[in-house]
Amino acid sequence: MDGLISFANSVGSILTSWSAVDVVWATLLGIIVGMLPGLTATLGVALLTTLTFKMEADQAILILVCMYVGAIYGGSRSAILLNIPGTPANAATALDGFPLARAGKAGSAMAIATTGSVFGGLIGMIALAVIAPVLAEFALSFGAFEFFWLAVFGVLISGQLTSLDDPIKGWIAGFLGLFIATIGQEGIYAVPRFSYGSTDLSGGIGLLPAMVGAFGLAEILTVMRHEAFEAVRAKSDSVWSGIREAYKYKFTAIRSGLIGTLMGLIPGVGEDMGSWASYAAARQTSKNKEEFGKGSVEGLLAAESGNNAAVPGALIPVLTLAVPGSAPAAVLLAAMVIHGIRPGPLIMIESPGFVYSVVAMVFLATIAMGVLGLLLTRPLVLVLKVTRERLMPIIFVLCTVGAFAIASRTFDVWVMLFFGVFGFILRELKYPMAPLILGIVLGDILDKSLRRGLVLSDGELMQFFNRPISMVLWISALLFILLTMPSIRKLLGRLFKQKAEGGVQ
Amino acid sequence: MSHQSSMNKADFISSIILTLFGIGVVVESLRLPRLENLNVNAYTVPGIVPGFLGLFLTVAGLAIFVRSIRRGGWKLSLNKDGMRRWLGSAMVMRTAVTVVITMGYAILLFPNVPFWIATPIFIFVFVVATEAMKYGGLPDRKKLLTALVLAIIAGLLINYVFQDLFFVRLPGG
Repeated sequence: MDGLISFANSVGSILTSWSAVDVVWATLLGIIVGMLPGLTATLGVALLTTLTFKMEADQAILILVCMYVGAIYGGSRSAILLNIPGTPANAATALDGFPLARAGKAGSAMAIATTGSVFGGLIGMIALAVIAPVLAEFALSFGAFEFFWLAVFGVLISGQLTSLDDPIKGWIAGFLGLFIATIGQEGIYAVPRFSYGSTDLSGGIGLLPAMVGAFGLAEILTVMRHEAFEAVRAKSDSVWSGIREAYKYKFTAIRSGLIGTLMGLIPGVGEDMGSWASYAAARQTSKNKEEFGKGSVEGLLAAESGNNAAVPGALIPVLTLAVPGSAPAAVLLAAMVIHGIRPGPLIMIESPGFVYSVVAMVFLATIAMGVLGLLLTRPLVLVLKVTRERLMPIIFVLCTVGAFAIASRTFDVWVMLFFGVFGFILRELKYPMAPLILGIVLGDILDKSLRRGLVLSDGELMQFFNRPISMVLWISALLFILLTMPSIRKLLGRLFKQKAEGGVQ
Repeated sequence: MSHQSSMNKADFISSIILTLFGIGVVVESLRLPRLENLNVNAYTVPGIVPGFLGLFLTVAGLAIFVRSIRRGGWKLSLNKDGMRRWLGSAMVMRTAVTVVITMGYAILLFPNVPFWIATPIFIFVFVVATEAMKYGGLPDRKKLLTALVLAIIAGLLINYVFQDLFFVRLPGG
């Protein structure tokens, strides 16, 4: 009940102040950022972090949450109209959204995507309100051993899920991120590591310049490398018929919302998997499987409910464990720290109201996204007419100034450039970016937890394995990795088949 | 050449770099101070975590190296003509031009030239160079004028937003 009152108070205070204007412009900007291929939610949140760090904490976080929610939804527009996902989270949206647009149902498709996103966002928001306080309380029992496994679990699972075809590359990306986090003064004795006398390197690699590089410059290079996309003129039917059609599949939206939230909750997995997993589940249970990929309303609804539900889902571990559920959530975590908020297990003790403020922010951003998305269907299409040749230099200027603005250091611009080129090469070699970023965030936790754990156990490694929560974490990570390996799945399949045949005989 | 075959070759080269990098991390971790003079617990020495990470990267690099050899990635079959064709392809040219212009801006112009001058120059050069590649020649007068107007407006607007609205002191004068 206290939570509900805090939530209502937060909604009331945002709506009755200038913050309501922030909700509108930040969500609209998010939608535009998401729509433009080459601009991702992560980059949008990172660039806005550099612009808002002189604002009050609540106002800055509100703007960033609105940008995040808006961008994940905005990507559906380009997926539907251009067959190019605006953000990686909208890749599944293009599978059915584009065929619908080609069939002259662009308006309906955009309405279905909007309805799905609102549904997903609200389901995720409820989960955030319900799960975050419980998880925070549970996390109070975490010690060095548990945090060590949480970091390992996060990097391994994120590496596995973001690189399903070649998990080893996902793990390498994650471990490279963990290594990057060890550069600079370490947290126990303040010994500089891998700094080689450089004062800038002793301070460590900043997460924000690294992310602006990995998601900004790397994206610019990727977009410029490939052939230009052609903006299409959408034949638009009524958006209202789309809402009615989406309503027919309300149970699909609810299921996708729950799956998306769960995917968001898993460290470093986020919206992309939220969308794909929801889409796969919808296809598996649908009565009209053959329509998937050819313009299925159910498929489009599932993909969009899944990715937007993952947004509040990804905020749950941010608030309660200080572990990001996705790449944009990692930036949000960094922004919270910049603004003096301390996410982690103590959040419900130190600032319980903040969790419900974030719930209120997600709620208002979701509503603004729905209203703006439906009302501005036609004007927003104009954004897609900007050519990459004219957009990319402006984005690069924002990346450069954004990296510099954080600490007014030219060194951060070098970091941005390095991660831009390094990230581009890694992407071309099919190494995913999300585990790399998660590794940078979790590196410090892993470093301190392993060393503290070894001191506490006096070098006795068994203590890392036999404590109840540690046991759950390492066994689930191991099982998850084993079960997603094709060779193990084949072996299990063969064993079950043999057993079944034995049973029949 | 199939995409998978190119990837195997890329994996072969990158795995060598990764393995060497991993070994380098292990060696450098071993060279980090162990703080014996401070009598610190041996389990908390600063090199322990990066050492383990370096070990993982070495093993993972070797795993990809072995896999790429099994898949024939070691047959790089480099030849002059192939290299020339690859270097001259539109994809590589676009990437190279983007890298050169962006680096030129961030490394040379941004720290040394006033922002309101450096940024319009960069935007104009970027638009004209990439449009020239797109259309196969210098853009027409109308496109050039549009690029110039865009460069000036964007440069001044970004300058105003960061310097005057958000009080970020930009470098370069």
